[in-house]
Amino acid sequence: MLVWVIYDIIKTKTRTKVAKACLSAGIYRVQKSVFLGELNLNQIDQLSLKIERLIDLEKDSVYIFPLCRDDFKKVKLLGQAFDKKMVTDEIRTKFF
Amino acid sequence: MQLVLNTYGSYLHKIEDCFEIKTDQQKQQISVNKIESILITTGVIFSSDAIELAIKHNIDIVFLDNFGNPYARIWQPKLGSTTLIRRRQLELAETDAGLNLVIEWEQQKLEHQIQFLEELSRHRENKAAQITDHIQALRSARERLGQLQGTIEQKRSEIMGLEGSASRSYFAALAELIPPRFKFQGRSRQPAKDEFNAMLNYCYGILYSQVEKACIIAGLDPFVGFLHTDNYNKKSLVFDLIEPYRIIGDKTVFYMFSKRQVKKEYFDPIKNGIMLNKEGKKALITAFNERMETTVRHRGRNIKLKDIIQFDCHHLANSLIKQHDQRT
Repeated sequence: MLVWVIYDIIKTKTRTKVAKACLSAGIYRVQKSVFLGELNLNQIDQLSLKIERLIDLEKDSVYIFPLCRDDFKKVKLLGQAFDKKMVTDEIRTKFF
Repeated sequence: MQLVLNTYGSYLHKIEDCFEIKTDQQKQQISVNKIESILITTGVIFSSDAIELAIKHNIDIVFLDNFGNPYARIWQPKLGSTTLIRRRQLELAETDAGLNLVIEWEQQKLEHQIQFLEELSRHRENKAAQITDHIQALRSARERLGQLQGTIEQKRSEIMGLEGSASRSYFAALAELIPPRFKFQGRSRQPAKDEFNAMLNYCYGILYSQVEKACIIAGLDPFVGFLHTDNYNKKSLVFDLIEPYRIIGDKTVFYMFSKRQVKKEYFDPIKNGIMLNKEGKKALITAFNERMETTVRHRGRNIKLKDIIQFDCHHLANSLIKQHDQRT
């Protein structure tokens, strides 16, 4: 399913580690503090545990929102938009 | 997702659990979780760490030359499954069961070709008459194959003859049906003399590498073939097994032509022929991978084309062992 990860993290070092964890899991940065992509339940749990260990529970906040396909289709992107096909794994072939 | 390095001088390396790809124009990190395979179609640079990361996650790295011939693969050295499968491959080649397997593969190919031509001519009434003769030739080849008995060795030249004449009919029909601007004269390779053959050769090259991978994973020896045999360093089984899947390449290429998705700018002239360039490869690989995502009914289940090859190889490997178990 699609997952949004949205965070506010005080320390730069921690923020960088969380961003790397998101990237490694396979979700895509769509804003400075927002990642979005397709993960299965297992992968969501793994990512959640990893982030929980990294952050300061007293000061930081990280939200992990699942979103079904149908609702994602209703998402409105205003201004600078991200590649909807990329985040939903609809791109079969990536060329460089 | 398949990662295709199609830009000369691209650099692939590893950052944490991601691949990072750099070209002059862009830089991007992609998680290993999103990559199924890596295809390299031109000169690129990459690190041993990237190779290690790929192998650890069962991502194969395949290298294609300019004509689509796979010339290398990076993959783990372990033998897939059990050596018994290979032993059974060798034994089976000598028996009538081996002949039956070969006939089955060839007949599947012919069946796909017949259906494809019938479908195409249904939508092209003015060409139906010419195509009917070719379809009839394929039907009779299929029937004559079904009558063969004995061993592969005894019937090899007869099978090859039937296959050759059927192939000429099939491609003559396709040449009749393709938009006139891209008309071609039968099959050509090394190099292709026209756009159709350049694209088809490239597709078949990709399919060869996919069949080989499926063999390795299933524990089948790609070098132990049945009909195609024992030439030095020839992946004989790959040439046998690919027959039912050539239709994937045929349809991908033909429909690109009929839907006017092929441009003359996709090709570069070379000595004695023609070659796909960077833009042409991109268009073709994209279309091929889209087709591979199609779901079809196969052996009683719904399955994507891209998974059928592996499914069939496992099925073959299992049937080889099963026969052995029943014998003892």
